Amino acid sequence: MMTAKGNFFHIRHLNKLRWVVLSIVFLMLLLLPFIYLYQTYVAAHAYDLLPASEKQIYNVMEKLTSPFVSDPENQLDQIKGNTWSGTLFGLKLSDPLAVVSQAAASQKFYWPFILTGLIPLIFTLILGRFYCGWICPATFLYELNSNLAVLLNKMGIHSGNRRFDRRFKYLVLAVGVTLSAVAGAVLTAAIYPPAIVGREIYYGIAQGGYSHVVLGGFGAGAVFFFTTLLFDLFVSRRGFCRYLCPGGALYSLLGRYRVLRIQRVVEECNDCAKCNAVCEFGLDPLRDSFGQECNNCTACIAICPTDAFEFKFSVKDKVFQGPGHLGRSYRRGQEARLMSEPDE
Amino acid sequence: MKRRGLLKTAFWTLSAVTASMLPFGFLRLMTPSLKADVRWHLRPPGALKDDLAFVSACIGCGVCGEVCPTRCIKFYTREGGNRINTPYIDPSVKGCILCGKCMEVCPTESLTPTPKEEIDMGIAQIDRSACYPWVDQGICGACVAVCPLGGKAIGFDFANFYKPVVKEGCVGCGQCVEVCPHPGLPVWIASREEGTIARHGAGQRRKWLQ
Repeated sequence: MMTAKGNFFHIRHLNKLRWVVLSIVFLMLLLLPFIYLYQTYVAAHAYDLLPASEKQIYNVMEKLTSPFVSDPENQLDQIKGNTWSGTLFGLKLSDPLAVVSQAAASQKFYWPFILTGLIPLIFTLILGRFYCGWICPATFLYELNSNLAVLLNKMGIHSGNRRFDRRFKYLVLAVGVTLSAVAGAVLTAAIYPPAIVGREIYYGIAQGGYSHVVLGGFGAGAVFFFTTLLFDLFVSRRGFCRYLCPGGALYSLLGRYRVLRIQRVVEECNDCAKCNAVCEFGLDPLRDSFGQECNNCTACIAICPTDAFEFKFSVKDKVFQGPGHLGRSYRRGQEARLMSEPDE
Repeated sequence: MKRRGLLKTAFWTLSAVTASMLPFGFLRLMTPSLKADVRWHLRPPGALKDDLAFVSACIGCGVCGEVCPTRCIKFYTREGGNRINTPYIDPSVKGCILCGKCMEVCPTESLTPTPKEEIDMGIAQIDRSACYPWVDQGICGACVAVCPLGGKAIGFDFANFYKPVVKEGCVGCGQCVEVCPHPGLPVWIASREEGTIARHGAGQRRKWLQ
């Protein structure tokens, strides 16, 4: 169903599916604080006391949620939290980075919490760094940011595309975990973009500092995240994810021997290098070099004009298979070989 | 020659480690550590007793705040220092109703499910030189009426229906602080170690105000 051409579902469409998933996660993060406000209003029986704008929130949320719940005050607790840690129908899920840095900070293993990271861990062992491409709410914004960079370039404002050492983020991870242990606080939470995004959306909408005003409570994370957006725009494309993100580093390490990989079919490849250009993480699919940092985002699959990528169950990348068989350099090589072969 | 190579490696390693601390340092710059007034910064119910242990166990996911039906749980943001993103309750704005949802939903051990009576957020203190009934400036009893623990935590002075007296059963939820009509808030929450159920006067409150 997922490989051959002409079938109903081509893996080329996975990239669209990925955008749908990213959007759904992000929209949920936007929606949850409003649902939460609605819940508190229901709990307080406060409808008649609300100002008009908050009545509007109440009405919209009531319309949205009434098909699913009959007792909004309690039943809406089924989905809570964000991608850093949350509750999904009674199942608590946490980011592996949260588990690692919390264990470092508190210097003990609290098993009920470590188990909440188990399901993400299993998925990561199978799919690699898929979180970064498929779920992370910051990725949603970062990819839009990349598109903005393209737009700016068209307008003549040059965005930066410096390259650094990709191993730097492993150092950030190590330093972050060490600093967490030294400071006795989960410091990685404060610089990890998906945690920041989930949290700041909630702070901004539902927290409101002391005055309980809507949209009044952004914290320090919002400034940090905005800085990373500027960094990505003007210094290095997707720079934070590529070179700095501690969570990305952890996922890469866990996904080093991932089971499901994208691989190049050398017979179909024409060496156009569009995959290298589109790869958000600066990898080199054209030379079969995906490595542990590929997040199976399928952008290369979507852009490939000759459908030369496929998903394979394998724990290793292929070694460089040589130039693509549809490309010019391979053809020249063939011709040269034919010329040099003795006639019969 | 060999030593120079070693020095070079050491230099680059050091600068790389320093550079990797930049994001953490950047965030730290934005969140200077300010000393919080413990009277208005209670930890949510069921929190680890040692605040340092609480900070190291809390991952800052914010789920406790997202389930709180009264929206009383807030988070340290720009002033938090190491406590950044950890929850607190400001009883002068909104007290805890001891519903226990935050304890159930917390993924870590920082908030552990605790029976209502054993929760220890602190103990209420009443300044008898300011509270309206105690200084004979009217009748009130709001704090006693609102207390979620009934008569176990706060009651009236002997043979008087309005002068409130804190009892040993108080868990420090802060509802009394929230409802207190006095603008100077003669009722506040002290930590269990420092709070008493004895009579408090202005001197006691002045000690807290510092």
